[in-house]
Amino acid sequence: MSILKTTKTALLGSVLAMGFASGALAEDYTITVWSGGTGETGSYRWEAIQMAADILEREYAVTGQDVSITVEHQEWSGWDDFKQAVTLAAEAGNAPNIIVSGHEDIGPWSRSGLLRPVEDYVDFDAWPLSQIYPNLIDIASYDGVVWGLPQDAEARPFFFSRAHLAEIGYSQEEIDALPQRVQDGEYTLYDMLDDAKAMQDKGVVAERRGFMPRVNNGTDYWQFYVSFGGDMVDPETGKLVLDRQALTDMYQFFVDAADMGVVSSTHLGTTWDDWHQAVSSDQVGIWHGGTWHKAEWEAKWGLEDFFGEIQYSLIPAGNERGRANTISHPLVYLLSNTGTDDDAVIASELITIATEPRIAALHAVKSGKVAIGSEEAKVPVFANDRWSSIATTELLPYATAVPNDIDFGVVWKAMYAGLESSWTGTSSVEDAVNTVESEVTGQLGDAIIVR
Amino acid sequence: MTKNHTVWPVICILALFSAPLAIMYLFLVVDTFSNSAPGSFLPHEFTLQHWRFLWNPDVTGDVWKPTLNTFLFTISMVAIVLGVSTTAGYAISRLNLPFRRFFLSSLMVMHAFPTVTLLIGVFLVLQYAGLYNTLIGVILVKASLMLPLGIWIMKGFYDSVPWEIEMAGVQDGASRFTVWWRLILPQVKPGLMALSIFVFIDGWSEYLLPRILAPAAQIEVLSVYLEAVSDPDSVTYNFNLFKSVGLFYTLPVIVLFVLFQKPLMNIFSGGTKG
Amino acid sequence: MKNRANGLGLVLMAPAVLLLIAFFLLPATLTGIFAFTNMSTSTGISGGAYVVTETVLRKLEATDLDPKLRAGLGEKSYTVNAETLAAATSADIEPGFLAEIEDRLSGKTYAASSAFEDDLKSLPSRPRRIRDLKLATEPFERSVINTRYPDRGQFEAALQTFLPAATKADLETIATASYTGWTWTRDNFIDLFTRADTLRLVANTVFYVCATLAFNVFVGLFLAIAVFYLPSRAGGVFNVLWLLPRITPVVLYAIMWKWFTWENGFLYVAAEDLGLPAFNYMKGSVPTAWATVILVNGFVGASFGMILFSGALRAIPIQQLWSSEVDGANRWQQVTRIILPQMRWPILFVTSYQTLSLLSSYELIWLTTNGGPGSTTTVWSLEAFHTALNNYTGNLQYGLGAAMALILVIVGLALSILYLRLFRFNELVSKPKIEF
Repeated sequence: MSILKTTKTALLGSVLAMGFASGALAEDYTITVWSGGTGETGSYRWEAIQMAADILEREYAVTGQDVSITVEHQEWSGWDDFKQAVTLAAEAGNAPNIIVSGHEDIGPWSRSGLLRPVEDYVDFDAWPLSQIYPNLIDIASYDGVVWGLPQDAEARPFFFSRAHLAEIGYSQEEIDALPQRVQDGEYTLYDMLDDAKAMQDKGVVAERRGFMPRVNNGTDYWQFYVSFGGDMVDPETGKLVLDRQALTDMYQFFVDAADMGVVSSTHLGTTWDDWHQAVSSDQVGIWHGGTWHKAEWEAKWGLEDFFGEIQYSLIPAGNERGRANTISHPLVYLLSNTGTDDDAVIASELITIATEPRIAALHAVKSGKVAIGSEEAKVPVFANDRWSSIATTELLPYATAVPNDIDFGVVWKAMYAGLESSWTGTSSVEDAVNTVESEVTGQLGDAIIVR
Repeated sequence: MTKNHTVWPVICILALFSAPLAIMYLFLVVDTFSNSAPGSFLPHEFTLQHWRFLWNPDVTGDVWKPTLNTFLFTISMVAIVLGVSTTAGYAISRLNLPFRRFFLSSLMVMHAFPTVTLLIGVFLVLQYAGLYNTLIGVILVKASLMLPLGIWIMKGFYDSVPWEIEMAGVQDGASRFTVWWRLILPQVKPGLMALSIFVFIDGWSEYLLPRILAPAAQIEVLSVYLEAVSDPDSVTYNFNLFKSVGLFYTLPVIVLFVLFQKPLMNIFSGGTKG
Repeated sequence: MKNRANGLGLVLMAPAVLLLIAFFLLPATLTGIFAFTNMSTSTGISGGAYVVTETVLRKLEATDLDPKLRAGLGEKSYTVNAETLAAATSADIEPGFLAEIEDRLSGKTYAASSAFEDDLKSLPSRPRRIRDLKLATEPFERSVINTRYPDRGQFEAALQTFLPAATKADLETIATASYTGWTWTRDNFIDLFTRADTLRLVANTVFYVCATLAFNVFVGLFLAIAVFYLPSRAGGVFNVLWLLPRITPVVLYAIMWKWFTWENGFLYVAAEDLGLPAFNYMKGSVPTAWATVILVNGFVGASFGMILFSGALRAIPIQQLWSSEVDGANRWQQVTRIILPQMRWPILFVTSYQTLSLLSSYELIWLTTNGGPGSTTTVWSLEAFHTALNNYTGNLQYGLGAAMALILVIVGLALSILYLRLFRFNELVSKPKIEF
């Protein structure tokens, strides 16, 4: 984990002592990269840095500097362990130079002094950063400071089995028109439940397989809160918001779904494995996931004809208060305070190169993500990939993101705990909402507005 | 027993209780060498493919590095626990220490103490000592947490050494240290043996501390490796493969257990019988 | 002589004492200290810094700080004048570049860094590295916002040069709002005692401990007695089988249970064949999840009872059993009238000993249900662990977690002292036999 760097002055001394004319100085850098939530399809989260290191070494070489960069990486498939490792390593003063994490970590990590502001190291007016979508730069900012560079972005669509929709009486035209109806708010979450129930009643999918939401905690569940008209942040004051009505409706929706029998009441906490298996082999009527799941289903689960078998849309609105939406959860490259300023410079140059269109496109196509910049969308490997383009043009414009607020973790934890307890029936919806409210007001006081 | 009552009903009830264990351990071994058709558990072909990971790092990643780490971790831990328990156990058992009573009672409390609750504090201590994310740090922590039990057990063994041996030695003019080193230590060899096996098994199985206090890849131990391999998000699920890795990992422990069952029994009961 | 022996004793004890202080006493003390702080990922552990951010400015709106001062805090500008040029000279900026700045940009003021940087980029001797360009802007900056000051002194000095009008009280208000580190607080305990979740956690924990204990004691007792009456070979097989979970590494043991209870696992397939409801028993429903948790822990714990009870059984004088058989007692009567009454102490011991370990052990639950489905099988120690060290949102709350751990430590201490009293501790600590 140590950063071995010979300082220039020491080197200079030795070079002079050996009687060389001052020329190229050899500099060795070891840059460590840790990335979270990185499965098999996400390997470019660190491979991009390795490619960048190769390019950067060559750039230095042609300008007459001898710089050698070693990239060490470690990836975690989950988030809990990864964030724990980063936090503890940072406390112990040996965090990795580059951290690839969700943008929501910027709040707490920047406050604790773990991060260096990226804006102090890179030039956003110069290519390639100049072509990155501005809303992604906003997501990577906190308190008016840009802390990270976007690493990838995605959207989280709803998925429908075309075959099962047809089996309950949808015509092909109706199936094709479904995304538009969802977007216009005509087709709501409750219509979706009815369809899921109809599929089960017809026996085309098994009990509790009509609707299969995400199996564990994730950004996805905030989409349902938005579907029922909830705001996470008050646009005027910038404070966090907890919308009681939206939370109640959202909890009630999952309770209703469980009562109808289209999803198990203990669905949360089951395994991804079983979920992937079921949705990719057409055993499920309707589900929601991420754009990147398509890549996984094709790579690991033997899905062959995605567009022929599956229809996608935004997350439907829940009622009149809400709207159809999707949440993007961009990952960002962050610079830690580890090492010297020169290490940070090298790290910042590496992550800048890693956002270049061609390199970013490799990750986007391999893992089913959307483009992070306008030029990337033109890279052939990306432009010719139907799914990547669709996700970028049809889904991303409607995407919001969870706030970068330091205290959002508290709200998130409480929201998910309430969702678990109401969904499993351990407490009533009303009690769950009250618990969330007392939890967040107890911990955050007037830093959060409860409506 | 005396009367030859029929034992079958008892055996049947016992077998029923033990069925889950018997099934799990039976299939743990069987599944690593065989494949069975989906939806059934009866193996229909013999295969060695689940053991490919031993020579093919592409399957689950290199297994030998973690094995070496686990070995280093365990052996160092055994050395520390054994050395420190041997000396402290003797002092507590035989020497008239100041605060002896207090020390003994705190030892008992520590022995019963919920150590995992100290994790955050332990992390801090390691961090200040610069030992977070190092193998040495985890070794020290794990060894220290095992000390109360170790000292307690060694004290029990020293207690059962007849003190005439010591008297004879001291009357011959040898120092207490020499007496301990020359005369007493050989008497407690069985205790050292049992304790070292027990600590080895315990260290070999340790998961929580390495995982939290030493997450770096290059010092990964087998327990963490196995958990990572069997993470449902990382690979397509294949229980037979996990079991092979698991069996490979557990083999040393099982062998030791079978060889040293008797002396271990005493320690398993919490070192309570001394 | 006596002193020498004492000295030797201390020398022999030293390593143990050192290690125990470092990894028992110190962590326990730290836990106690943390419990009264609001430490978390965002405050860090090792102290904080002072930094004014937009969030801080928002926080200050609620205070009685003069709005003019507030506005001043948020101002940011870059000025090229004699004063800043002097600062730049001492800041090690390349002289040629600095001369150009003085030459062409003197007297200019910029509201944003980007405008200033653009002008710097247009200078002929601009540094090649963008970082050097950014560093060159720093001496010209006139603002406190978003600058991190490592200590209070520097922070106040900066504030005073920037906001000369600020009074002592104003500085105090600003500093309090800008501090990023942790502060002392009793909120963790207040929070724990008022949260609705706490009661459920306690109930879960009590249920888990009681149910697992009951399993351990009854099964352990049954095993010991049954094996006692069996021929030794058959008994030995069961002995070994039940000891296996104790020595199997936890990770593998958890995987075996997954194989046993998950979708397409052993029970699942068996249930499908028999036409029973088949689902993921470990995570699929509350009753089966609890059953799994209790069995997973119970199978490990039962052997402990089994070993102790077997020892106690062997200590019963065999003549008692013989004479009872002469009196025509059957097995059942032997067990209930002779064996069980003599098992009182061992049962009490096993119960108290395992209560402690069950209260604090969450490793197996973490590796199996992880407290799910929902948080139905979450026990106190697991929740403390999740709060302090391991959760999805990654904002680790050391303070709250430590408070939860402290409560557990206190309960553990009380219980262990109680059980030392029960088991006649004085006999254990009798004086050593040889004294000189």
